[in-house]
Amino acid sequence: MSLVSFVRAGESNTGSLKTAILKSLDLVQFNFKIDSKKVVIKPNLCYYHDYSTGETTDPKFVSALIDVLRDHLTSDPDIFVVESDASAMKCKHVFKMLGYEKMAKEKGITLVNLSKEENTNAEVKTGQKYFKFRIPQIIRESDLLVNVPKIKYQLGVKITCALKNIYGCNAYQKKYVYHKDLSEAIVSINKLIKSNLVVVDGIIVTGTRTRKLGLVMASEDPVAIDAAASNILGFNPKSVKHITLAAREGIGNMQFVQRGERPASIKNLFPRRTMKNKIRRFLASAYLRYVR
Amino acid sequence: MGKVHLHNCLRLKNAQLVSVADSSTKALRFAREAGVKNVQRDYNKLLNDESIDAVIISVPNFLHLECTKDAAEAGKDIFMEKPLARNVVEGEQILSHVKRAGVKLMVGYPSRFREAFTSLRDEIRSGSLGDIQFASATNISSGPFSPRGDMGRPAQVPAWWFKKELMGGGALLDLGVHAINLFRWYFGDVTGVKSYLGYRFNMDFEDHAVCFLKFKDGPIATVNVGWFSKDPRVSIELYGTVKHRSLVRSPPGALSMITEDIGRKFGKIGRSMERYYRELQYFVECVSSDTSPSPNGEEGLLDLKIISMGYKNAFNLTPNR
Repeated sequence: MSLVSFVRAGESNTGSLKTAILKSLDLVQFNFKIDSKKVVIKPNLCYYHDYSTGETTDPKFVSALIDVLRDHLTSDPDIFVVESDASAMKCKHVFKMLGYEKMAKEKGITLVNLSKEENTNAEVKTGQKYFKFRIPQIIRESDLLVNVPKIKYQLGVKITCALKNIYGCNAYQKKYVYHKDLSEAIVSINKLIKSNLVVVDGIIVTGTRTRKLGLVMASEDPVAIDAAASNILGFNPKSVKHITLAAREGIGNMQFVQRGERPASIKNLFPRRTMKNKIRRFLASAYLRYVR
Repeated sequence: MGKVHLHNCLRLKNAQLVSVADSSTKALRFAREAGVKNVQRDYNKLLNDESIDAVIISVPNFLHLECTKDAAEAGKDIFMEKPLARNVVEGEQILSHVKRAGVKLMVGYPSRFREAFTSLRDEIRSGSLGDIQFASATNISSGPFSPRGDMGRPAQVPAWWFKKELMGGGALLDLGVHAINLFRWYFGDVTGVKSYLGYRFNMDFEDHAVCFLKFKDGPIATVNVGWFSKDPRVSIELYGTVKHRSLVRSPPGALSMITEDIGRKFGKIGRSMERYYRELQYFVECVSSDTSPSPNGEEGLLDLKIISMGYKNAFNLTPNR
């Protein structure tokens, strides 16, 4: 079984975030590959909504993570913070608007738009479905790939966390083409790209409502992290298609040993939707998807 | 906004939609599918059509001057989306082209055609609220950065929304202009303007602002605008010596949108579109009866002058991070 750590950060300043991140890595006994030369960090910068909405990774969180990595890697590694253009978002704007340009300057790291980088086509099958992705060279060549997702509720796939964040490593911009079979697409790209470490920015979490949890989670297993994130949002991980599918495909393990503060203590912050609400949302989404 | 005007134009009883021009193939396809037979890539072809009396200009701010000049020179009456221009200098040039050509120019301020807001004006005028001492208008949303869709697919925010030189300003110009125009309509002339401009998103234009207006014979008003929130809200508050009034308007929910969409297929306007329909209907009435529309170009220019003072007398807040 995989280890998943849960640590509460006191304040969301770089110092306490650094302490919380370090503690979360200690709890999962993360073994730093100390000779890593090329470190790639993948936050979730899916749209122009800033960190306070819980939709995107806080640049302060990434900044604290960079400090932790620099403290533990022997050689001074090249650190890249990466994101790819999406159907409705462009990295050149999101890096600036969400404070990543400023953070990159302060930390002396490089921001990379994966959609503008050299990439190779890759095809993979999950179930009966084939998917094509463009895998950036920088991801393939990284010595240490750190996945820094958010925990979010999303209509359709229920939760998005570590597995879905890797979907953003696909250099192809028009990602809506995968929306029809999103769960399978998420699992497929995770078969091609394996992160070495997941550190979740759970400082602000967007479930059925947005809450400041001040939570840091870590694991080497993205499936275990997603299962833990499901618990936090009040979903049974077995009801989340991409998590069960990922476990079946051998990407990770849904069963995990938790270290640190139990997630059950925060589970009640995200009440399940009422049946009436679920029907309303289902009708609205079906209409927008198939009729409009 | 072009799509909203197209939809409403097709339902106007006192005018006929003759032609649509757009440089985008997608927009022209949308117009064709909506039932417009004559679509053009080059708007000059539309302007050369003598059967056309008036045009609706719904283009990015940086194209307002060029399009208005061409339309005025072609002798067309003009309905122009707000703001009149990117700045006062361009606004004055627009007015000079319009005056020289002797055509009408109306600026699109849909709040002036929103029933709840027009009723407020009646209340102020009737004296039932007493003297208004404080007034406040709030318009908060994600603005241009709201998630967009195009034929059921997510779409990019158009590039001009990220460039100050193409927009002319930020949230104060884009959203503040509505409230400033409305308050001038309520209270008259502005004698003093001050503002705070905020840069949450580290861009070179303000994404939120608080603007203070002092009216000559009326209250002190605050205009709060922002592009920072996922929870859109428009509200007006008036504090009078006799009574207070507060109006809050949120956008329709998903189910209301569906009901409106279905209604639209059967020719209904829909509640959220009513004010846009009414302003067009009014514009067409002005064209047919040869009367001057209000809000006109002069009013649009006055609003720009106030915003320009707001920028000049601004305290710039530092970016959050």
